Amino acid sequence: MSDAPFRNPGWAGNTGGFELSEDQVRGDDFVGARSVEGDHPSTAATYPYMLADKHPEAPLFEGDFQARFEKILTRYPTKQAALLPTLGLAQEVRGHVGPESMDRVAELLGLSSAYVRGVATFYTMYNKAPVGRYLVQVCTNISCNLCGADDVLEAFLRYTDSEMGELSEDGNFTVIEAECLAACGFPTCVQINSRYYENVTPADVPKIIERLAAAGPGEG
Amino acid sequence: MADNPTTITLTIDGQEVTVAKGTTILRAAKQAGKDVPHYCYHDGLSSPAMCRLCLVEVEGAPKPMPACVTQATDGQVVHTESEQALDFRRGVLEFYLVNHPLDCPICDQSGECKLQDYVHEEGRKHGRSREPKRIFGRDDFGGDVLFYGDRCVMCTRCVRFMTEVERDARLTVVERGNRSVIDTFFEEGLEGTHWHGNIVDICPVGALVSKDFLYKARAWDLEHTDSICPSCSQGCNISLHVRDNLVQRLKPRDNLEVNGFWMCDHGRLNYEWLNRGDRLEAPLVRSESGVRAMGWREALAAFLEAAAGAAGNAVRAVASPRASNEDLGAFRALVESLGGGDIVYRMSRAADEVVLKGFPSLARRRDLAPNGRGAELLGMLRVGSDEGTGGLEDVADHDGIVLVLGDALDDQAPDFGSSAALFVHLATHASAASANAHFVLPITSFAEQEGSFTNLNGRVQRFWPGIRAPGAARPAWFVIGVTLAERTGSTAPRSAAESFASLGSSFPPFAGMSYDDLGTGGALVNQPVSLSGD
Amino acid sequence: MAYPYVSDREVRVISRHFGDPAARRLDTYVERGGYQALRKAFELGPDAVIDEVKASGLRGRGGAGFPTGVKWSFMPKQPTRPHYLLCNADESEPGTFKDRELIRWDPHQLLEGVLISAFAIRAGHAYIYCRGEFFETTQVLARALEDAYAGGYAGRDILGSGFDIDVTIHVGAGAYICGEETGLMNSLEGQRGQPRVKPPFPAAVGAFGMPSTVNNVETLATVPHIVTHGGAWYRGYGTEKSPGTKLFCVSGHVNRPGNYELPLGFPMMDLIEDVCGGIRDGHALKAVIPGGSSVPLLNAEECSRCTLDYEGVVAAGSMLGCASVIVMDETTDIVKQVRRMVQFYAHESCGQCTPCREGTAWMTKVLRRIEDGRGTEEDLDTLLDMSHQMTGTTICVLSDSAAAPVVSSIHKFKDEYLALIRRGERVGVA
Repeated sequence: MSDAPFRNPGWAGNTGGFELSEDQVRGDDFVGARSVEGDHPSTAATYPYMLADKHPEAPLFEGDFQARFEKILTRYPTKQAALLPTLGLAQEVRGHVGPESMDRVAELLGLSSAYVRGVATFYTMYNKAPVGRYLVQVCTNISCNLCGADDVLEAFLRYTDSEMGELSEDGNFTVIEAECLAACGFPTCVQINSRYYENVTPADVPKIIERLAAAGPGEG
Repeated sequence: MADNPTTITLTIDGQEVTVAKGTTILRAAKQAGKDVPHYCYHDGLSSPAMCRLCLVEVEGAPKPMPACVTQATDGQVVHTESEQALDFRRGVLEFYLVNHPLDCPICDQSGECKLQDYVHEEGRKHGRSREPKRIFGRDDFGGDVLFYGDRCVMCTRCVRFMTEVERDARLTVVERGNRSVIDTFFEEGLEGTHWHGNIVDICPVGALVSKDFLYKARAWDLEHTDSICPSCSQGCNISLHVRDNLVQRLKPRDNLEVNGFWMCDHGRLNYEWLNRGDRLEAPLVRSESGVRAMGWREALAAFLEAAAGAAGNAVRAVASPRASNEDLGAFRALVESLGGGDIVYRMSRAADEVVLKGFPSLARRRDLAPNGRGAELLGMLRVGSDEGTGGLEDVADHDGIVLVLGDALDDQAPDFGSSAALFVHLATHASAASANAHFVLPITSFAEQEGSFTNLNGRVQRFWPGIRAPGAARPAWFVIGVTLAERTGSTAPRSAAESFASLGSSFPPFAGMSYDDLGTGGALVNQPVSLSGD
Repeated sequence: MAYPYVSDREVRVISRHFGDPAARRLDTYVERGGYQALRKAFELGPDAVIDEVKASGLRGRGGAGFPTGVKWSFMPKQPTRPHYLLCNADESEPGTFKDRELIRWDPHQLLEGVLISAFAIRAGHAYIYCRGEFFETTQVLARALEDAYAGGYAGRDILGSGFDIDVTIHVGAGAYICGEETGLMNSLEGQRGQPRVKPPFPAAVGAFGMPSTVNNVETLATVPHIVTHGGAWYRGYGTEKSPGTKLFCVSGHVNRPGNYELPLGFPMMDLIEDVCGGIRDGHALKAVIPGGSSVPLLNAEECSRCTLDYEGVVAAGSMLGCASVIVMDETTDIVKQVRRMVQFYAHESCGQCTPCREGTAWMTKVLRRIEDGRGTEEDLDTLLDMSHQMTGTTICVLSDSAAAPVVSSIHKFKDEYLALIRRGERVGVA
């Protein structure tokens, strides 16, 4: 046995305010349950876990977020390895990772700003510019595509009245085409913020949009 | 060779090559005189093996192998020119051209572009892409660098140079896949970095170009001359690139002992003074009747007469750390011949060194002249301020013999040397002070003559004439040599080599050294000398 | 049982808890015999565990099918530096959706596998690289891991054995290529997820420069069962060269898509017709991609004689990959679907190697043009030649993967390309 202090288990995400409840995760009441008929109970009845629209001016980091950042640092043998989780944390705070956030993260981790930009732009999940409160990612890759994903994508664009990748007029939605989300048996898969909506058909889309658009700030 | 564990023998295109163990196929091929086409590989950088142009056929291997990272093994049979190897190179080259703008006629790199060369040598006659091209456009990276994204082959040499060698990771690859492009951190740019000119050198295509050189000359019109950077005491090996007798740019030459593959931006961009006009083109002799330009024969005769007349006067002499070893040695002999005395020199001194962190034996040194060490080893004394001024109070109003070599005396009062019994100024340009000289003798700059400098580590390195000297300007060692030969009945050196070889008889650090020993890489002065620190 | 669909032809080993949320709780998992394999592994010692896994013939479930025990045996036996186990949970191969299910229905099964495997390769630290999009999945795993630490199944002095194994969940950020083992290591280290040149191999120079092994979620989830029941038991399923059971992710035009755990060597048509309830709406089969979008398409005739084991799929003209069976019926527009796959590879190419960076994007444009009726027959030759230049010429196999559906579809469904080209010629667009 070594004398080195052991790192904490889990991941640094589990002290945030957006996560699933103990019951949801540990209990039988599982949010991701699917019915045989493929009609996802959560499709139109639930909110996504986290809002993409956050506090673009908030400092990186303070309070709980600072604690989580420090926790992240303890998990890796190098500071650089904390880059991806730290960028993720920055996005959780600010909703996107803009130049200022990249610069700040670079400073926190002792990396060059250009390096951080290079890494951040390699990965698609970092929003380089602000997106709507709901980032709607419709998988149009082969398995979903075979089952009509193009129509689902079109429905989302139509009902949010937005162009692909552009913020809708009410600021609520950004709809983009996504690559395979690894839910190919449950087409079409749509990820809205952090939640997967499976077996989505064009007919489900207006219900989903209506509910999300009506949600107040606290309900996200 | 098989029983020697440190080497291996392989066959490259039918030719047996014996190389050190651990050598890559690409290096082994180079030793065999074959240049395997490549972009991302560079001797001074890490090897990411990503351009895929150096793929070669290795017998027994299931796939083509990247020559830059594949170690040569004993008995290996490699084909760099086989149908398979040519086929893959043709394919990779076609991929490069899918989005390349083919703007060679307006591209600065044209004529020294590896994409142009390789496609011309081995590419398809016609590309098959009919699709619209991706467009990135032009970006100002700050400093001396412009970036033309559409010409980029994504070899990432520039990114690796800034990260691994300059150790200031200002460049990165942004985005991924076909949308990848080299960029800085938004508007940050390269401003404030000191070695970024090297990324223009190592860019194999016209993606990174020098603003200073932009549209100045076509590559094929430039004459290249091996030289030594005159901007500090490091002695970086460089080439003068000349057109129309004007230096158009400086480029580093490889020398692992001195500068690797690199040179600093300060040295790189400090060359315009070599092209300065208003040069002294004929000896000027002042007499009661005024100043008269004359031919060398007449002027030297007058000088010998004046020197004889001034005999017995004390000598005070000023040299320049920009003069070659040969010039300084000849000057020293002239001073001795006129009765001897101290020789002083002035040299600018920067506040700090600018070290290249990834190649720390290279720096822009504090001493901002190429041959301060040579002057020191030839017994000369440094005077004056860190700006390279002052320190000549004893000389300025000296009433004996005043000899000045190379120092332009720009900071000196107009009456400098006006009390001297004999004032001789060997210079490239006239200054206020030289109006008082009895003899102003036009000499050549280092770029116009053959010679050598001694760098701060005591390494003696040669340079060659890249531009023609104006009018009657001649190398100082030659002017002084002829003069002394007349004066003493000895034989004047007929070449810079002879002049250099003669240094050794009076100055132990140079004893026994000859140009043959120096070669192109230079050699250390031949005995341990205590080199004063910086 | 309600997990979307189950079949009585399944042999449910690693998927036995699918659809049963109770298994996500530590107490239930232990009650059902969980973490006994970990105890047994500590008794056996690392080398015996490796031998047992070797004896089972388990092959890596991430797609390459390399024998897991052999891979482990490349790790130094006398560690002088830290060793790392990296669990690849960056599931993103189009058509594949098994790892997410394995984690969210049975997180402790994976953790037990991770712990045993880390022990076997003498790693003191395991990273589980979870795909960034898997938010709720990661939450489930993180809670399970917390419980495992609290219960003494992970961390310091596990179960009083004296062994310390630390487990960290690392979350990715959206890049398919991080599923490639060396791209995963670079990403873990906080770099762009570009694959590394091999050699050096991960067992010599891996994550953080240390000896490392990367294993897929399904591979690691299988390990506890092999330790419990023995390699010989595992060989009781499947074929001689492809032993054991495997999760088949069936998607596309079948009546009952989903995950089915079947012994390797299972006939493809039985999977489609029997297990999955046949093609939807009574249509006829046109093509199947048997192993995720990276492998060649099979036409209906090839499917009819294809058995689903590593060798059987190769014999039929494709590869088993990660057993992601994408079924396409007669209504499928092959050119469009091939273009969609190639577009995916162009989007996900890391951009290092020229043939991949330029080739995938160029291919997409050519295919799009053909799809729009502006193609020519020469384009097909160009596509085939491009595919040739993109195969075996790059650091990783992403460009090979992009080329595979193009080549196989041009060879097997050339009529569809020609029909589009002819139609274009007729209306005079070309």
